Amino acid sequence: MPKPLIIIDNIKKTYKSNGEDVNVLKGISLNICKGESVAIMGQSGSGKSTLLSILGGLNPPTTGRIIIDDIDLYNLSQEKRSDFRREYLGFVFQQFQLIPYLTALENVMLPLTTTNYSAKIKLEKAEKVLEQVGLIEARHRLPNQLAGGEQERVAIARAIVNEPPLILADEPTGSLDTKTGNSIMDLFQELNESGLTILMVTHNPRNTSYMKQTVTMKDGLLRLENEDFLPNEPDIKAMYGGIV
Amino acid sequence: MTLMQIALKNIRRRISKMTFILLGLVIGISTIVSVYSILEIMKTDMTKHVSEYGANTVLTADTGEIAFTYGGINIPEVLYDVKKMTMEDISVIDQLPLRSMIRVISPKIFGVLQIKEQNVIVSGSDLKSDFALKPWFKLKNDSDITNNSEIAPTESTEDGEYVEAPKLDLTRMELTSLPIFGSNILLGAVIAQNLDLNTGDSLELNGQVFSVVGILQENATQEDYQILMDIAAAQDLLGRPGEVNVIELGLDYSLGSEDILLAQIKTALPEVKITNLRKASLGQDEMLSNLTRFGVSVSILILLIGMLVVALTMSAAVRERTREIGIFRAIGFRKSHIVKIILIEGFFISVIGGIIGYITGMAVTIIAVPLLVDNSLTVQWHPWLLLAAIALSVIIGALASLYPANLATKLDPVIALRFI
Repeated sequence: MPKPLIIIDNIKKTYKSNGEDVNVLKGISLNICKGESVAIMGQSGSGKSTLLSILGGLNPPTTGRIIIDDIDLYNLSQEKRSDFRREYLGFVFQQFQLIPYLTALENVMLPLTTTNYSAKIKLEKAEKVLEQVGLIEARHRLPNQLAGGEQERVAIARAIVNEPPLILADEPTGSLDTKTGNSIMDLFQELNESGLTILMVTHNPRNTSYMKQTVTMKDGLLRLENEDFLPNEPDIKAMYGGIV
Repeated sequence: MTLMQIALKNIRRRISKMTFILLGLVIGISTIVSVYSILEIMKTDMTKHVSEYGANTVLTADTGEIAFTYGGINIPEVLYDVKKMTMEDISVIDQLPLRSMIRVISPKIFGVLQIKEQNVIVSGSDLKSDFALKPWFKLKNDSDITNNSEIAPTESTEDGEYVEAPKLDLTRMELTSLPIFGSNILLGAVIAQNLDLNTGDSLELNGQVFSVVGILQENATQEDYQILMDIAAAQDLLGRPGEVNVIELGLDYSLGSEDILLAQIKTALPEVKITNLRKASLGQDEMLSNLTRFGVSVSILILLIGMLVVALTMSAAVRERTREIGIFRAIGFRKSHIVKIILIEGFFISVIGGIIGYITGMAVTIIAVPLLVDNSLTVQWHPWLLLAAIALSVIIGALASLYPANLATKLDPVIALRFI
């Protein structure tokens, strides 16, 4: 069995709401190997976005560990976690989340801002990924001058410009029509085939066909597709492809 | 793409909000600059006025004054027991034990004569001493003189011979070397214009003919309206031989005690009224110091309000950028990077605020100065004041940016991105 890139180890997350504890995640365990693409399905409120934010180092779990590439994410200081996000993770957010006053090229260059690359290399890297997503011609346009699909491509280019091993995507086709959404999913598939590991939160069943694996979140627990329940105790985990 | 570029682009995008922040700074800085500049000019004006009486002590004849009331209507300053000073008083002063403290003694006599139905003031003095006390006295430029730039031969009363006075020159040195004695006179700028007289012209006063050997540049002082001549000639012309109205003294305070000297004068000349201009000016100084303190207090208050405006507006701008800051954090910006962006924005706005505040403050000064002090004073554009304004603005901007910057670091990127 290959060594997992991501180890999600018994993650629990509890929030206080009106003085009462709300258990959003009730103990999630999952291993994901390098080169996998996993769709996390689930209805609103099922905890999938919370899981994604915990995986992104943005939201410490109440208990449990996230280990990515042998690094225990929440053992890092906040500042080191920022550096980790920059080097290991590429985020693709809901509704693109581009910075409105920066051009497509500048948006793509954002993750490089705090790196030590020279201005020339930053530009080359950004242009290269814009080329890759087919938007090199539109590089000097502002987000509001781009169509929805183009904005999504810019967001993807921004996520991959640092060449991270892992892409976390949150409803990347939520704001797109079917045709544009499909082309974006094609792009994700291409990126996965080039070796990137992709973890995508979606509630669009069509998107799962582009992913190698699909898991479903329900009531704070993880279930494999077509399975009633995925046990989160490590000793009774079953292997499903890259998902353990 | 750098943090600075991000900050600058954000400033450009939120131009209206940034203008509001800028306004807070400009109002604060311009108030400080204008208050400071106006007070400085008022000080200069006061110094000029005090130094205009290069004499720092003035002796006048002591007179009794009484005010009468007629059914509630006052008639003030009815003089009685009017005493007179004479040239002998100069000899008395010359013999004082602390005479060495007196740098210059300049006795003066004033009288009013009528020429062409105009009342003119004749001022007689030892003009060399007078010029020593009034360094701003200068002759009119040749080009200002419409004709007769050469002085006609004039008669010297010293030896009864005709001598040719030197051609007028502009320098003060030549002013002090002018032959102002006997029937030679100098005219103030305004009186010369009113009487339509130029250098070299003659003027008849009470049947005596005088030659105009020079015309003074306009000083905005009483001398502009006077005919200046030697004291002996003036006493003779006015028919008041030996009389003196005013004795101006230039004291050197480093050579002895001012109080002792003034006490000696009072003892030697009990009927003389002593006016100490230096002490009077010190009193004005104190008033100006109080005014400065008041101005600074008001400026600080306005600056604090400006700082509050900046802090509140920037905080509101940061809250508006919650999502954007969340994105920055998610893609690997450290909290310190976010703080830097906010501080860079604050810095740039502060620098611009400092420059505009300085220009606005100086503009207010230029408008206000003629209303407050002598028109002839020009407002100085000090580069160091510009630098100080910018520095102050940057300090205020930085202090005001600290709260919003801190606020930005506390924003939860998860909430910012609405992951939950």
